[in-house]
Amino acid sequence: MSTILVNTLTGTTTAGSIAVTGEGNSTTTNLQQGLCKAWINMDGSGTVSVRDSLNNSSITDNGTGNYTVRHTNNFSSANNSPVIGTGSTGARIYPDLADSGTVGTSVYGIIAGNASGTLTDARICTGHAAGDLA
Amino acid sequence: MAGKIVADQLEHSTAGSLDTQFVVNGSAKVWANYNDSTPALLESLNVSSTTDVATGRFRLTFTNAMDNANYSSAGNANISGHYLATGVDSNGNAQTTSAVDKWTTRTDTGALADSTQIGATIHGDLA
Repeated sequence: MSTILVNTLTGTTTAGSIAVTGEGNSTTTNLQQGLCKAWINMDGSGTVSVRDSLNNSSITDNGTGNYTVRHTNNFSSANNSPVIGTGSTGARIYPDLADSGTVGTSVYGIIAGNASGTLTDARICTGHAAGDLA
Repeated sequence: MAGKIVADQLEHSTAGSLDTQFVVNGSAKVWANYNDSTPALLESLNVSSTTDVATGRFRLTFTNAMDNANYSSAGNANISGHYLATGVDSNGNAQTTSAVDKWTTRTDTGALADSTQIGATIHGDLA
């Protein structure tokens, strides 16, 4: 087995673009584009806390079932793609990106609520964000 | 032509090592930030086109196909004023190697509704 010892991978033609051959050996996918740039697993109940994360600078408890997640290294545009989840014991809790305007280059919001729309604290809040780093 | 490195593992000086299978298999092959209300594809990877199938139903078509239809699709949907659930649209084409059909519904009424911001990711093997 071969091992590359390296701290930074950089493209030769374009520094921020490296092609990776796909599993079927016929197409390539972009390494930088396909990587999850930020992820988090946080406890949204009681005193909120981060269990584990990548590229997370802080979280804010905005009230029951309402959280803000902030990145350490920002995205290049507000059109990045956060995918979130929420969970708890008991009644089902639905995740929702906070209302329009809260997905930005440095931040996104998580809303947790029950089926009728009542905000509810979620014991598990997760988020993955894809897109281009600044 | 750019160089090509064939290797099974990457090793950082302090942060540990990673088998390259996780780079190839673990990278998202498709992701999108899509507004199904406008509709507009705001930003994406490996999406060639979108189709507004009907209210609350849309299709993401891939540039490079997946090798089978058993890939993992995840996502969330947002609209001001209501909670939305989202999933794979089995009443449409569901998952094929070249596209995925998804739906978004209001959690309180179950009615199909267009979302203003959909996040979607797909993991699996490229063809």
